[in-house]
Amino acid sequence: MNTQAIQILFLKDLFLSRWPLFGYLVGGLLSVVVACLPGDSAGFIGFILMITMTIAAGIHLIAVLLLAESVDMTRTFVMSLPVSLLDYSIAKISVVLVAFLIPWLGMLASLTVLNFVVPGAKPGVLAFLAPMFIFMLAGFCLQLVTAIVTESVGWTIVVVVLGNVLLNLFLKSLWEHPVISALHKSEVLLWPPVVLQIMAVEAIVILVALGLAFLFQIRRRDLI
Amino acid sequence: MSTALNQPHQTTAAASLRGIAKSYKHFRLNNIDLEIEPGTVNGLIGPNGAGKSTIMRIMMGLVTPDQGTVSVLGQPISSREASAKQDIGFFSDDMRLYKSESLAFHMQFVRSLYPNWDEDYAQQLLARFGLIAQQKIKGLSHGQRVKALLLLILARRPRLLILDEPTNGLDPVAKQEVLSELMQIVTDETRTILYSSHNTQDVEQICDTITFIDRGRMIASSNRDEFLDGWRRFKLQAPQSWQAPAIEGLRPESTFGNLRVMTLDRYQAEVEGRLQSSGATLESSEAMTLEEIFVAAVLRGREEKQQ
Repeated sequence: MNTQAIQILFLKDLFLSRWPLFGYLVGGLLSVVVACLPGDSAGFIGFILMITMTIAAGIHLIAVLLLAESVDMTRTFVMSLPVSLLDYSIAKISVVLVAFLIPWLGMLASLTVLNFVVPGAKPGVLAFLAPMFIFMLAGFCLQLVTAIVTESVGWTIVVVVLGNVLLNLFLKSLWEHPVISALHKSEVLLWPPVVLQIMAVEAIVILVALGLAFLFQIRRRDLI
Repeated sequence: MSTALNQPHQTTAAASLRGIAKSYKHFRLNNIDLEIEPGTVNGLIGPNGAGKSTIMRIMMGLVTPDQGTVSVLGQPISSREASAKQDIGFFSDDMRLYKSESLAFHMQFVRSLYPNWDEDYAQQLLARFGLIAQQKIKGLSHGQRVKALLLLILARRPRLLILDEPTNGLDPVAKQEVLSELMQIVTDETRTILYSSHNTQDVEQICDTITFIDRGRMIASSNRDEFLDGWRRFKLQAPQSWQAPAIEGLRPESTFGNLRVMTLDRYQAEVEGRLQSSGATLESSEAMTLEEIFVAAVLRGREEKQQ
């Protein structure tokens, strides 16, 4: 394993995705601000914008950083350099994940801070928002593994659509859950066992998806 | 998969392929043996879809063969090995750069991976190829993109250059500029080049060893001058009942009435005399161009395969 090559590939990809990354970070932060404005309408619009930004960032970053290398035939150029498949795989999966985590964490962190500092905000709602964000991260990881295995825009979109349907069902059941719904208006942030269990399952899905993505990538016999 | 795949062989060759096979749905590369000596310029000629690119991709570890062993610059090569690639410059006709970024970005990226990057030479190539470092790749013409890629490859000073159809689609001026640069590299006898093309004139211009490949099989491999000296085309007037003398490598090419056109791949000075004494009248004995030799060799290879 060549850590220097991995670092160079990682920084190259981060640089290549700088504009969409910047756009999704700014857009995500603005959506959080809108969500924290007074009034139910602003909260609802901000909430929808946050979900939209997260989903769009995931699709866009996978397309720019992963699928484009196959479609635009830039992978031949990269793999002609002194880079092994292992170096390439570590750098690629890391950078796609980190690139997604930048707007994702930006939104989650600012949401957390604002829910504690904005007068009238209810920090208890974070027990609903945290599993929602982690669900979207898990969905992104499943899209990532699909993109790596199939190298197909079509199949990746299929997983995105399925993920969105599941997200809606998940949000509905989370919102209507008697324990969690009781926390929406709470002044105190609590983590009931059911929320922790949901987040644990989501974490397992994330780890399995990332493991599969890496496994499929390094077992690839033909790179182009 | 052959067990030999895991057993790299020791060789002094710049590159060595032994018993390489690779199957795709509609194509199979069959039992390729190729030995490339250090300091030579080797041409790989074949029609489109012959398997030239597959061979080169296997040599770069981009494609894993189903069978056989590959070693490049004395090291086994696979997708899991990167060290040999430090000394290889690979160009492929379907290789692309990041279109939204500039050539300067690519130069910096490649420089960061190659300690041997020669910045002075890179600047010379920029000027010689008429490229502007700050220009974005999407604004370059096809010829400029080829030159940009060659700049990124040549400025690393690789010991082995693997060039897959580098002059494909270039206008005559750009093609000559690229070939001239390659011919300058050829003067450095420590560097080895493998050059593929379906254009025999390009290969004839710079290569000293030539391999013909067709439909995934190696048809012939030899020194360029041996090809040019060894092949002949004869035009003979002979009656319908004429039987060609048993000369090894002599094959009929075409017949028009009493006119027989024959080719020979192992020419010797006494062949004309044997043809004359066989009852035919020799109208001409012509040296063949590399293109004619290539076509004849491919057609022979296909005939032999069918038999």
